[in-house]
Amino acid sequence: MSSVVLEKIVKKYGAFEVVHGIDLEIAAKEFVVLVGPSGCGKSTTLRMIAGLEEISGGTLTIGDRVMNRVAPKDRDVAMVFQNYALYPHLSVSENIAFGLRIRKVKKEQIAESVADVAGILGLTDYLDRRPADLSGGQRQRVAMGRAIVRHPEVFLFDEPLSNLDAKLRTQMRAEIKRLHKRLGVTSVYVTHDQVEAMTLADRIVVMCDGRIEQIGTPMDLFNNPINTFVAGFIGSPPMNQIDAKLTYDDKGPLADIDGVAVRLPALPELKHNEGRKIVVGMRPEHMSITPIDDASELPVTLDLIETLGSEALLHTMVAGKPFVAKAETNGKALALEDVTSLRIAAKEIKVFDGETGMAFGHPGTA
Amino acid sequence: MEHRTTRLNRIADHLRANWQIYVLLAPTIIWFIVFLYRPMYGLQIAFKDYSVFRGIDGSPWIGFEHFHTLFGSDQFIRALKNTVIISMLTLLFGFPMPIILALMFNEVLNQTYKKTVQTVVYLPHFISTVIISGIVITAFSPSSGVVNTVLDWFGFDKIYFLTKPEWFRPIFIGSGIWQEAGFSSIVFLAAIAGVNPSLYESAVVDGASRWQMMWKITIPSIMPTIIIMLIIRIGNLLEVGFEMIILLYQPATYQTADVVNTYIYRQGLQVGQYDLAAAAGLFNAVVAFVLVMTANTISKRYSRTSLW
Amino acid sequence: MRKMKLASAFLMSTAIAPAAHADGHLQIVDEPLELTIHMHWPRAQGYNEEYPVELAAREMTGIHLIDATSGKNTTDHNEAINLLLATGDLPDIVGGHRIKDAVNQYGPEGAFVPLNDLIEEHAPHIKAFFDENPDIAQAISSWDGNMYYIPYLPDGKFGRAYFIRQDWLDALGLEQPQNVDEFYDVLVAFRDNDPNGNGLKDEIPLFQRQWEELIRYVTLWDGRSSGSDTYHDFMVVDGQLQHPYATEGYRDGMAHLAKWYAEGLIDPEIFTRGSSSRDYLLSENLGGVTHDWFASTSGYNASLEGTVEGFNFVPFLPPASVSGVRMEEHRRIPFKPDGWAISHTNENVIETIKYFDFFFTEEGRLLSNFGVEGDTWNMIDGQPVYTDEVLNGGIAVNTQMYEVGAQIQRGYWQDYRYEWQWTAEAAREGIELYDANDLLIDQFLGVAFNEDEQRVYDRNWTQIQTYMLERQQAWILGTGDIEADWDDYVAQLDRMGYNDVIEVMQAAYDRQYGN
Repeated sequence: MSSVVLEKIVKKYGAFEVVHGIDLEIAAKEFVVLVGPSGCGKSTTLRMIAGLEEISGGTLTIGDRVMNRVAPKDRDVAMVFQNYALYPHLSVSENIAFGLRIRKVKKEQIAESVADVAGILGLTDYLDRRPADLSGGQRQRVAMGRAIVRHPEVFLFDEPLSNLDAKLRTQMRAEIKRLHKRLGVTSVYVTHDQVEAMTLADRIVVMCDGRIEQIGTPMDLFNNPINTFVAGFIGSPPMNQIDAKLTYDDKGPLADIDGVAVRLPALPELKHNEGRKIVVGMRPEHMSITPIDDASELPVTLDLIETLGSEALLHTMVAGKPFVAKAETNGKALALEDVTSLRIAAKEIKVFDGETGMAFGHPGTA
Repeated sequence: MEHRTTRLNRIADHLRANWQIYVLLAPTIIWFIVFLYRPMYGLQIAFKDYSVFRGIDGSPWIGFEHFHTLFGSDQFIRALKNTVIISMLTLLFGFPMPIILALMFNEVLNQTYKKTVQTVVYLPHFISTVIISGIVITAFSPSSGVVNTVLDWFGFDKIYFLTKPEWFRPIFIGSGIWQEAGFSSIVFLAAIAGVNPSLYESAVVDGASRWQMMWKITIPSIMPTIIIMLIIRIGNLLEVGFEMIILLYQPATYQTADVVNTYIYRQGLQVGQYDLAAAAGLFNAVVAFVLVMTANTISKRYSRTSLW
Repeated sequence: MRKMKLASAFLMSTAIAPAAHADGHLQIVDEPLELTIHMHWPRAQGYNEEYPVELAAREMTGIHLIDATSGKNTTDHNEAINLLLATGDLPDIVGGHRIKDAVNQYGPEGAFVPLNDLIEEHAPHIKAFFDENPDIAQAISSWDGNMYYIPYLPDGKFGRAYFIRQDWLDALGLEQPQNVDEFYDVLVAFRDNDPNGNGLKDEIPLFQRQWEELIRYVTLWDGRSSGSDTYHDFMVVDGQLQHPYATEGYRDGMAHLAKWYAEGLIDPEIFTRGSSSRDYLLSENLGGVTHDWFASTSGYNASLEGTVEGFNFVPFLPPASVSGVRMEEHRRIPFKPDGWAISHTNENVIETIKYFDFFFTEEGRLLSNFGVEGDTWNMIDGQPVYTDEVLNGGIAVNTQMYEVGAQIQRGYWQDYRYEWQWTAEAAREGIELYDANDLLIDQFLGVAFNEDEQRVYDRNWTQIQTYMLERQQAWILGTGDIEADWDDYVAQLDRMGYNDVIEVMQAAYDRQYGN
């Protein structure tokens, strides 16, 4: 399997630059997910790797070959498209065999490969059907089959699950993960869904406006978002971000949130910055409705409770902005008046610069 | 009785609930009734000794006499044969041309060049048949025509094309293709534009060449359009564009040029035999109906595409 | 400008007409009577109620014509009259171009009023005309013996003539050909001796605007091409109906014409060059001989003066045939299938026939031929003479007449003095030349079929004629040899029902012309 290396990759349409010099190294067999809001350049980047878009600047290396000027078919990559790109006039087996036939592979060999792939994907019973007669999940599997059958060096996925309903998506996600484990092919996967990114990726690349915001393992990004954008993008529900002012008392830094003082972690960057504007990040998962040690307390008035079973989402307003907390309920029903304050330990709080949005105390920025 | 009223009530309720839709539908239905179904009443003159003054109802029935007259006439049989031959050849050579043109346009990347060429090939469609025939007559004229001038350069004898029965069909069919192929390609271009672009991208990644993409993606994708157009064309098989023939033919070329419609025109309309013309027209319509049904059934069975 | 003229014509006619006809001897009704009219003709698909001629006729007769023309959106007269009949709502008068077949077919079915008795009792001028021309009365009658329309009666005998480039003859030192052999020699000389002097062998010795006119030349070998002024028509020989294309004279003539065509004496593009060929071949100084209308063909001498050096295109006598006959086969037909008829819905039949008769009176004839006196013409020494404005108005005189409502296709008797006044000098000389020689032959004036005869004719004739024309062109073009094919050709005509057609033609002819 091959590594994929992007060095200062730029994409321009005329004078309009949409990807601004991306650096990314993907190791062999690694599963990397490009995630970001629509228009962030993630699909464009993927299509440049595939060769469907010309690369305007920088260097793309797959394995040890520079691929900038290599035709898509010679890059030894396979791509799975959002709308499956199945040929409606061909049967499932013909669809899977399409790439092999184009490459003039021998008939017997094609039949064997198709049978293999169909077995892997559970499509054996559907080989003679036309795409129109398949369900969404089956079509998705056929699309993957077409990619797998060629044994490429790199898999490219362009939002492959976004046309499926939620349940099927969860199921297919798992299948893709399993498949990757089994085949071990280097994979680049584009999605706008951070849940997919978290569940599938070895490493996640968060992109925004044609730049990479942060690269890291899912837990890295969750625990140490480099800025407010990543913090808001990773995690569900997203991290609460509250504007505040930095103050101190004798024990260390505090956040002044509309007069309520919240204890902050004692980060070196927070010293001697009295009055500085900051953004305080609190993950809903870290909020508690029961007393905990060494915690600050936020007085709140709940306006909505969404019960999820063993947990509940508590909605309220803090400093004039919506605020969500996730609370264990242990199966008990919770009333709005039952909760009057939320608590959080200082070590769980993230602090970002109010001007730049960059995290204080981030290992990468220190 | 009970049943009836409830059913009528249901229909009435349905009409009341969806009356806007039926109002929208009404103009089309009225158009069909007034312009297509009502005139069918006049078809009966094919079985009558029709007098314009006595009217359709006042004219006496004479059964199949007009059909006997038609099929007893060598010239009608010849016209029928010519019609079928010209139609088949037109279908054979004329039908693929717009598809080929559309495929070629689709491969052209330079937009300015593509637009220019498209305009040029669409243009003849908008020129009247009379002018087209004038152009054809001039182009094939023995003294000053382009074709004969070229033949002369290469040392061939000049040919008086428009009086040679063996040249009539190539000239007629060729000029028909020249006039209509460009414009007819529009529907196929539209079909091509409707093909999902990711099919091509996927094929590019799979390593297909442009030629392979045309054969394996474009053509199969527009096949339903091609088949529908083919069925429609087959339905019009006997409707050879006779204005053009009347303008181009000569008694000297009747042998290959006279078609059912020109025969009807000469035999029926020019001398006012509307009843005979109606009989020939009815025969045409019946044949066309059978052809469409057959083509549609075959297509439905083998390609899952059909008009209805 | 034209509007001005019409307006002044209107004013003058209203001012003068009452004075001229104040005695009212032409008055048909005391109270004004309105009659509706269908008038579909080539120049206009309708009848203009403001024609000065109409206004004058109103003044004189008291009858007003109201336009009720069907098919104004088509120029096809057949279609217009069929449309009119199919609606069933006929106006009082049905007139215009090519109404003869319709009135003779549907008159006996009751659509039109038979005119014989009406003419006898109420139309002395029309009666006088038919008494003098009984053959015309027979010819326009339907199969039941009744007349159903009053025709437009053209005047003048000659239509077409043979024209030759006199300056070419002079250049080659040749005389006008007097017989068929000399004619051949002249054509060969035109082909070979470069009469246009451009050093190229590009002359086209013989050309025609209508290829049908080429067949006319079979008269040089005593054949015939048509019995009337309509192409491919039947002819009468000693009381027997025949078709010219089934006679041996035609065979011989065609054999020679085919030879001439093969030798390059005839325009090689004769079948496709079309109506502009005369314009083109004359103005390019390429064409030598043609057979075409006197007036329009003479006109090229004026229009090409200065363009083609020494251009002199003159009429010459038809060359004598192999048996020594000089024949001008084409002549003007004495009556047209145009005119007007009275429909069965007309409630004022007597007034209407009197109105028709008005146009055969002295005043009515002058009005329908020349327009309103004092406006477009004046009586000088007993002759109607057009005003200078009309003769030198820059617009063709016939066009001016159509605009005032004269010379339109009502049932009227044309006066040749109308055309003579604006015929070019060259044409007048030609007509006098032709008139001085006995060139014309009797015409076949047509027959009216009863229903059974009509059916036999309809079923067979179009096909036979199609076959005849196919063979005709093939023979000229050399894809077949008429001498070798003749017996098969005649046999095929028989198989197609030629004799049946001749039989019904003969029966209809005998009934109509009382043989």
